Amino acid sequence: MTSAFAYHAPKSRTELLDLLADYGETGKVLAGGTDLMADLRNGFARPAHLLNIKSVDTFDTMSWTDAGLVIRPGVTINDLLRDERARSTYPILMACGRYLASHQIRNRATVIGNVVNASPCADMSPALLCLGAHAVISSASGRREIPFTEFFTGVKRTVLQPDEILEEIIVPPDLGGARASYRKLKRIRGHDLGIVGVAAMSKDGALRLGISSCAPTPLLVAGLSTDDDAESIVAAAHEAISPITDVRCSREYRSHMVGVYVRRALQEVA
Amino acid sequence: MQVSVNVNGMAYQRDVEEHWTLLRFLRDSIGLTGTKEGCNAGECGACTVDLDGQTVNSCMVLAVEVDGRQIRTIEGEADHGELSVIQAAFARQHAVQCGFCTGGMIMSVRDLLRRTPRPTVEEIKEGIEGNFCRCTGYEQIIEAVLDASDQLDTVGKGELKYV
Amino acid sequence: MSDHLSTAQQPIVGAEHARVEGIAKITGDAIYTGDMLVPGMLHAKVKKSPHARARIVSIDTTKAAALPGVHAVLTGHDLDYRVGLYIVDKDILAKDSVRHFGEAVAAVAAESVDTAARAVELIEVEYEVLTPVLDPREAIKDDAPLVHPDMGDYQFVEAAFTPQPGTNVANLTRMRKGDLEAGFEEAEWIIEREYTNPSVQHVPMETHVAIVEWKVGDQVTIWTSAQSPFTVRNLFCAAMRLPHNQVRVVVPHVGGGFGGKAGIHLEPLLACLSKVAGGRPVRMQATREEEFSLLPCRSALTYRIKTGVRSDGRITAQHMTMLWDAGAYADYAVNVTRASSYSAGGPYDIPNAWVDAYTLYTNKPFGTAYRGFGHVEFFWGLERHMELIAEAIDMDPLEFRRLNLLRPGSTTLSGELITEHTGNPRKCLDAAAAAINYGRLTPDEEEHQARTGRRIGKGMATLHKAPAMPSFTASASVIKMNSDGSVVINMALMEIGQGCNTAIAQIAAERLRFPIEKVKVAVEKDTDKEPYDWQTVASKGLILSGNATILACDNLLENAYGVASQVLRTIPADLDHDGEKIFVKHRPEAFVTFAQLSIGYVFPNGNGIGGPLIGVGRYIASGLTNLDKETGQGLPALDWTYGAHGVIVDVDPETGEFEVLEIASAYDVGKVINPAIVRGQSLGGMIQGLGTALCEGYIYDEQGRLLNPSFTDNKIPTAKDIPNKITSMVIETPQLDGPYGGRGVGEHPMISVAPAIGNAIQNATGAELLHMPIRAEDVWRAMKDLEPIDNWITKTPIGSCRSEKLGAHLPLQDESLIPAPAEGELVSH
Repeated sequence: MTSAFAYHAPKSRTELLDLLADYGETGKVLAGGTDLMADLRNGFARPAHLLNIKSVDTFDTMSWTDAGLVIRPGVTINDLLRDERARSTYPILMACGRYLASHQIRNRATVIGNVVNASPCADMSPALLCLGAHAVISSASGRREIPFTEFFTGVKRTVLQPDEILEEIIVPPDLGGARASYRKLKRIRGHDLGIVGVAAMSKDGALRLGISSCAPTPLLVAGLSTDDDAESIVAAAHEAISPITDVRCSREYRSHMVGVYVRRALQEVA
Repeated sequence: MQVSVNVNGMAYQRDVEEHWTLLRFLRDSIGLTGTKEGCNAGECGACTVDLDGQTVNSCMVLAVEVDGRQIRTIEGEADHGELSVIQAAFARQHAVQCGFCTGGMIMSVRDLLRRTPRPTVEEIKEGIEGNFCRCTGYEQIIEAVLDASDQLDTVGKGELKYV
Repeated sequence: MSDHLSTAQQPIVGAEHARVEGIAKITGDAIYTGDMLVPGMLHAKVKKSPHARARIVSIDTTKAAALPGVHAVLTGHDLDYRVGLYIVDKDILAKDSVRHFGEAVAAVAAESVDTAARAVELIEVEYEVLTPVLDPREAIKDDAPLVHPDMGDYQFVEAAFTPQPGTNVANLTRMRKGDLEAGFEEAEWIIEREYTNPSVQHVPMETHVAIVEWKVGDQVTIWTSAQSPFTVRNLFCAAMRLPHNQVRVVVPHVGGGFGGKAGIHLEPLLACLSKVAGGRPVRMQATREEEFSLLPCRSALTYRIKTGVRSDGRITAQHMTMLWDAGAYADYAVNVTRASSYSAGGPYDIPNAWVDAYTLYTNKPFGTAYRGFGHVEFFWGLERHMELIAEAIDMDPLEFRRLNLLRPGSTTLSGELITEHTGNPRKCLDAAAAAINYGRLTPDEEEHQARTGRRIGKGMATLHKAPAMPSFTASASVIKMNSDGSVVINMALMEIGQGCNTAIAQIAAERLRFPIEKVKVAVEKDTDKEPYDWQTVASKGLILSGNATILACDNLLENAYGVASQVLRTIPADLDHDGEKIFVKHRPEAFVTFAQLSIGYVFPNGNGIGGPLIGVGRYIASGLTNLDKETGQGLPALDWTYGAHGVIVDVDPETGEFEVLEIASAYDVGKVINPAIVRGQSLGGMIQGLGTALCEGYIYDEQGRLLNPSFTDNKIPTAKDIPNKITSMVIETPQLDGPYGGRGVGEHPMISVAPAIGNAIQNATGAELLHMPIRAEDVWRAMKDLEPIDNWITKTPIGSCRSEKLGAHLPLQDESLIPAPAEGELVSH
């Protein structure tokens, strides 16, 4: 059951960060809400304060800078999917985004929310890892930038401190135009969480794999080449993952499917 | 907290508790019960409404978030007692059984046809993917969408075959 | 009853008429129970057990009761009522012990849902956790812990069931046909396998909901989302020891049932809360999570089939042992067991057959009726078994089935003689096989295989089912004429989406020879107003309520003709009518309109005759018998609906992933009343069958906690999951006592979808699948001859996507977030 909390709709970035400084420990940031609303209802989250990040001016925008594509906290999955330039520059964002839940959810769920939630099965994380994206983390006391490879620390855990937000995702331009594929094992053809997700991306012979649902965090396997022997690439992927058995499938099958998906992805992106 | 919203063209001002969802607000505060609760978890789509031109699961939105915004529900679909094109197609094509998913389903179809006036069968399936229906098996709903988008003659529909 | 259509007029029966309550549903105007506001209404919430089996050491409700806004708090010991459909075995709230995860141990009624929820959190329960019995194979053992130590004290329906006190056996149904031993002697092959299906949730889009008020003077009104208003009233009155005329059950639109709303559920608890709250109406709607474990599911089934076959393909003997997992309460499961027993041979002629079907109590959420009532479950194994037999004796599976099908002169397992009027399983099988080009690949399919590397397989499965109901099941219909000559029909058969109101309206219009626009079937059912109907279950509504309605129409016309003959100064035999008036056959200009007759005819001088026109029709199943308790012999079947599915799949041989490309199904429905509605039942049932085949099932940990009580991990088919091509076909072998020859087909499309898919997968890959559902991993494991995964009671309940902090894998209910305590350990929360 949803419990009572104080609701805040800060208009400015400063106002938000000040509220976070005060309420970070006892509060929750609301973006698309597609995870948080469920947690509130189930009593998994019982915040005293709810900070609606979408009310902050300019937070619902994307922009193109020299550093690359900047995605801010209010940008929904469908905002991203609708963006012509993002579509043509980063096909992998599209490949992953379109498999995320249903249309209604994609209208609400934000790119940043999907990442911050740090679910091992998040769809956007493999894409952002492949793209070498950076996280810009802000608080009232400053701003820091880290690569996404350093962002996740465990199941549903990140480096974010209670007073911090992930303010921007910066997707650097270097891997623009890279060939991409995403395979997601689901229980049904309709919307479902991924049981195994393998994103693959190649540009100029460099190959990167983003893998979800096969370790406590989404993970990146980089430093590969499309010229490498397929089995050595599969071995690198198997080396990286640590799948478990759960109600969705077994450890063995996850491992098997990673191998199959990597081999198939190679045929598409190599 | 006070919220001002426009629902189906009518302005409402209500006090709501911070933790109320838009779904609960529409049903319990405004009295529009055509929007249904099927899971309260963003999975089933029975509570789908249009929020500023985009479909959302109203169970996944807080009522306080919709202050100053426009909402359209199934009750706004018929116009002065006349069924909309989509509703008439749903009736003609037997796209309704128990009816519990139907309001949300029609809201998704409306949004789909606005984005894609003549969707393919695959596009229809993707457009209503977020709306569970346990009764119909979806086929007659898909046929209703083809009917509403004037494609039934070209795409065709299934019929009961007598052997 | 099977009067054929007159050719003189445009037939209404058989034509596609729009659903009569459709517009209310597509506009959002239709009011369901959960939409209702009753003045003074309170809201209820229940405290649920996080344990599958535990002794309740103490419950402290002091804090909850003290919370402002709380009007009633109840625990098991406050209530001296027991409920049960066939075995009266369930306390309204658990008393002293809990028997399944999610069972209600306390309840609160408060001024708001939020207050009720807060109050429930304040209730403190101390449990002594005990080791649960979860697997029916364990439950049947002599030394198994007893789920119901007091079984010997329970009342039960003695004509049909055989609970065995001192064990976990709630019922044992035996079938004994022919000489089993001689049959196996005659066989050249004996094929034996074990099959399993997990528990499954119905998933009506509308969860269970009710509002109940218990006023001073024991006047009770129940508004509820139920399939069977009279069963709710009967069971309620039996439990509460109240006269029927003080209890009124009202059911508005129902958002799907599928059997899950066939019996009685939240109503008694809400009534008790209302009584304590001084008669304030109390409402409760189950959350989706509660729908999975507070409310019932479909029973799991573990079964062994042993079949003897001659080399020419004839089955000589079959022994089937079924362990039905009732869960904690018997509810419908004992009758599922009975129905599955007399039906267990499928539409096959098996000369020597034994069935031993046990209903076993376990510490799991209890099973109830679910579309197909046992048949979806046992047909999985039966039709997989037929496939495996055909493979073993090297015969084409379709030929093998054809050879053994029931035909006129065959007898069923319970000894019923099959005639040419019973229905035609052969035509069903052949039509479905032809529709998928069974036995060969088309050039397009060859090309598909070559292009994708996936393997195409085709599979068949048959099905049959008779209504599982008492031998004396009855129904009535009342038709009342309005003063404009239109009519309203009252009956208690519930429209739950299956289209019965439309079918009944068509039957009445046909019988009355009225335009269908003049016929209304009342939507809201009310036990104070509607005449009796047993239940809306079993695909029996068309025959029983259809026939009652025909009789009611005849009675209305007879009454109208009687008055008209006085007005027109002739005898009824010289009269005829159309949709407007009754006239003298040979002098049509001499007539009186129905409007003139409707509420009594008035002569020009003011004299009145006749009075309001009504017609009453009463129908009861005739000629059916109880089953002999030793041999199972008897006549249980009102009618048999036969059917068959043909399925085309393509399978990825490397991963086991597969798609169902096509399904073609055929049913012998006797007579189609409305083709669009029959097709709707066919499509919807088939897709529900697809869900049960591919992805649905309860997963428990070894402590008996349900791990997937929501749509997160219990998926159901979406629009994207339906096959690209679905063909629905009908055969019309008239049912001699059916309305216009019709018989029911509401449940049948769901039956045998799973084995048809399993057979197609075997055809494509050779994978021998014995367990339902069939997930990609199951196919992969079967192809690789790996052990099946340890679901559905899993040793490794670890989730990949939930926070460790929050208890890793556990269900979405706060009570369940506590680590599993050891045996005997005392825990409170």
